[in-house]
Amino acid sequence: MIYLFQVLNGIGLGMLYFLLAVGLSIIFGLLQFVNFAHGAFYLLGAYLTYDLVERDISFWVAMPAAAVIVALVAGLTEASLLRRIYKLPHTFHILVTVGLALVIQEFVIVVWGPLGGSVATPKSLAGVLIIGDFIYPYYRIFAICFTAVLAFVLYWALERTRLGAIVRAGSESTETMALLGYDTLRINTAVFAFGAGLAGLAGALAAPIRGVEPFMGVEALSVAFVVVVIGGMGSYVGALAAGLLVGVIQSLMATIWPEGARLMIYVAMAFVIVTMPRGLFGRV
Amino acid sequence: MTNRRNFLRYTAALGATTALPGIIGRAYAATGAMTVGIPVPISGAFAANGKFASMGAIIAAEEAAANLGVDVSTLDLDTEGKPATAVRRVQDGIAQDGVKLFAGGILSSESLAMGKEIERGGGVFMTTAGADEITGSDCNSATFRWSVPTFGAIEQTLRPIIDAIPDAKRWYTITPQYVFGEGLLNATTNLLAEKGLEHVGNSYHSLTEKEFSGYITNAIAAKPDVLLLLNFGSQSSDTLRQAISFGLKERMTIVIAWASGLEQFEGLGADVCEGVYFGAQYWHNVDAPLNNALRAKVREKYDINPNYSLAGSYICTKLLLDAAAKAGTTDGPAVAAALSGMAYDGLTGPETIRAEDHQVMKDYYLLKGKAKADMQDADDYAEVISAGQSFLSPADSGCKLG
Amino acid sequence: MLINKPFFQFGLVVLTVLALPFFLRSGIMASEILIYGMVVAASNLLLGYTGLLSFGQGIFFGTGSYLAGIVLTRTGVPVGLMLPMAAVLGTVIATLVGGLSIRRQGVYFVMLTLAFSQLFYFLAYTFSDLTGGDNGLLDVPRPMLNGEQLVDPWSYYAYVGVCFVLVFAAMLLVTQSTFGRTLIAVRENEERAAAIGFPVRVFKIAAFAISGAVTAFAGALHAMLIGVAPLSSIEYHTSEIILVMTIIGGSSSLYASVLGASFYLLMADTLSSIWPRWLLLLGLVLVVVALFLQKGLWGLVEKIYALLTHNRIPPEVEPSDLGTDTTAKGE
Repeated sequence: MIYLFQVLNGIGLGMLYFLLAVGLSIIFGLLQFVNFAHGAFYLLGAYLTYDLVERDISFWVAMPAAAVIVALVAGLTEASLLRRIYKLPHTFHILVTVGLALVIQEFVIVVWGPLGGSVATPKSLAGVLIIGDFIYPYYRIFAICFTAVLAFVLYWALERTRLGAIVRAGSESTETMALLGYDTLRINTAVFAFGAGLAGLAGALAAPIRGVEPFMGVEALSVAFVVVVIGGMGSYVGALAAGLLVGVIQSLMATIWPEGARLMIYVAMAFVIVTMPRGLFGRV
Repeated sequence: MTNRRNFLRYTAALGATTALPGIIGRAYAATGAMTVGIPVPISGAFAANGKFASMGAIIAAEEAAANLGVDVSTLDLDTEGKPATAVRRVQDGIAQDGVKLFAGGILSSESLAMGKEIERGGGVFMTTAGADEITGSDCNSATFRWSVPTFGAIEQTLRPIIDAIPDAKRWYTITPQYVFGEGLLNATTNLLAEKGLEHVGNSYHSLTEKEFSGYITNAIAAKPDVLLLLNFGSQSSDTLRQAISFGLKERMTIVIAWASGLEQFEGLGADVCEGVYFGAQYWHNVDAPLNNALRAKVREKYDINPNYSLAGSYICTKLLLDAAAKAGTTDGPAVAAALSGMAYDGLTGPETIRAEDHQVMKDYYLLKGKAKADMQDADDYAEVISAGQSFLSPADSGCKLG
Repeated sequence: MLINKPFFQFGLVVLTVLALPFFLRSGIMASEILIYGMVVAASNLLLGYTGLLSFGQGIFFGTGSYLAGIVLTRTGVPVGLMLPMAAVLGTVIATLVGGLSIRRQGVYFVMLTLAFSQLFYFLAYTFSDLTGGDNGLLDVPRPMLNGEQLVDPWSYYAYVGVCFVLVFAAMLLVTQSTFGRTLIAVRENEERAAAIGFPVRVFKIAAFAISGAVTAFAGALHAMLIGVAPLSSIEYHTSEIILVMTIIGGSSSLYASVLGASFYLLMADTLSSIWPRWLLLLGLVLVVVALFLQKGLWGLVEKIYALLTHNRIPPEVEPSDLGTDTTAKGE
């Protein structure tokens, strides 16, 4: 019975991981750009939510606002800084985004202090769902549903809309896109901002569950990397499948062999890479 | 890239000026007659502790300077929370600045490593870190510890709760997998066995874990009366938040055995803390002469209440300086001799330093979170339920100090 | 270019060991610079000579550190034997990690090494009987020389200095050998090298093995320097720092790495004593380096040298002049 609960809990966890990782995956898919600052955008999203809620602004306003602000910050960063380095070897992508992550993290400490804080669960979602022995917070149920709807919208947007087609085309060949007359620079900025905004949204969504503290971005980044690598970089479906897989593994291991819960995530990752070098759904 | 040449010149100049202090700057650091090194994490994941520790040490130094009429200075040594950096800073402090007195070390790993190094360098070290080995199997002639070991923390946290809630028969624990967590868990298992209570389960987790819902699901399945959290710092905060979101506060008693003090309450907020039990090394509202004095000074100087990091660093620094004044030197073995067996009025009331293992004998507190409406001021998060001392004998602690 | 010739590089290495005591007051800092100098050079051997950006160097560093801790505190094996053992173990693990990682290229390769670095961290953390877990292994002794332990920082510095010169000489020989030149060929054009009939994979794994040996060797020296083999040595963060040092230094010569290590360590030491939020400044430095100093500090030295000798840097890349610009992007 407990395993069933853990699987359910793992699915909830996995949806959050998906949201965290999908932006990283999309950015990589279009821009061939590894963003080590992705966790920092998650951190920023969480802190902005915290700040706004502290100012007595409703969580329902704070959450989207945080995501939008993060997207704007990311868009500005892309337009002013990152687009200069796309052409460089990925060594420099890593250097710049590691630097950027440090700047954001320390900036958060300068502004909000090193202590961290709690974000109250919105009143309407306080409390827990109880079915027999199974207990699950309403807020987490909301987070799952919200992410699921978002995942569907995203999928639809990527597969069915012109923008999605452009993004997908771009991840195949930037040159083709330029030849077709699209403004690649603007599309790049938009996609980067969008991907980072998703990380910010994940941070905002996670804030009432985990609270905020300045180093939450580091852990988020490592989870996002694992998900993206297992799922296959640039693959939307992969991010979803791998997010769920990682969530379920982590949750199940909490019962089976808790000491090795984290270890097993990386073992799973190593196994996938060795047997399926492109990840579960990698196209490249 | 148009003005690349200009920029190159600029960075070269910048490089030259910033590199210089690192090479010759240390000469200016030690000017006082007595210098206390404060090796604490000022950057990195435990930066909050370091910031307050530094503030506490300054107060102790100012006091000593006024009392003794000599220059006393503190030298912050940023350990970055990493043993390697901690040891290097301490070695440098000893070799470059002639520092012999060290008060600090928040994390077990850095404190253990620094303690060894300070003993080798002929200094003396006073810490508040959690690992029992510090005054146990890895004790040494130069290292002293102010904080109560895991045994006393569990005794003083659990016994009053067991007495208060006799119906609480089933206990579940969540434990970080390292020696500190093991120490707390061992003490818990022994005590529960002694009291005939049932330890219905335990979940280990790694030190980097942030997601506790899996462990909480385990706990729910075990149907305990008490959920005992044996982790520390942001991990215990995360666990508590997530446990409360699963509605566990209404279904069972939640206890954090080793809270990190006022800083943790501020991070959690009153709503989360209400009704939760916390074991604590220090609480700013405790009525003891030295604590009342410290509270007044801290309010005057920094306009805050002293938290655990600040108070711990203050008392460690103060003890070292007092002992150095008594010994008439900052030489490590002499100060260590003065500290051994010392009895004084401390932050928790009368405290003594046990000569056999260099452990300070002091009170440990059990706190209970107050409702927001009952708080007298912004920092009045908890009431003190009980206070007391429990220590293993030096023989049982595993320390072999001649 | 003269300053990239092996004999000149070797001269710089010897000069560095002799000069550091005059510029630094801390023997610990000086020793740490030499130790990281080796580690970064080993990472440079991968990046500069084979174009492999390894995020797993911390694995080998931690391996060496733990080996020193285990062997010196639990067995009677002398340091003289322990150090080669560290190199051998480093080789074995690097061969394993390298062999699995080079199955993919470009960014995928980077992510793989990153995954391995996390994996090894959790292995070290989980198997605490062997590694001491979070506490690490304490009481790692310094080596004995003529019946005396090298307690004084500067006497241990001399010990490290000798190791440093020897290791560096060995690495320079490697880069000058047929093997080293082949690595460059592989880096420049992998398909062509494979077409000619070079066993490209074997060469890459061999580069990994050498890199792992040197890094583990240095890790063992570091454990003896600080007297502890801590868990943080095998952390992802260690790998990250090594990589940052490598890129800051530049990869057009091995000595660039010593420059990168010194710059990073001294800068971190200075900044952290000025402002607790020094990591913010470090972040900015990284961005600046990526934007304006793509050949690293050594690239700057090359430029200055070229200006002084009124030579222009030759446009084509010669074997000893290795820029990273040509490293394959993406896949």
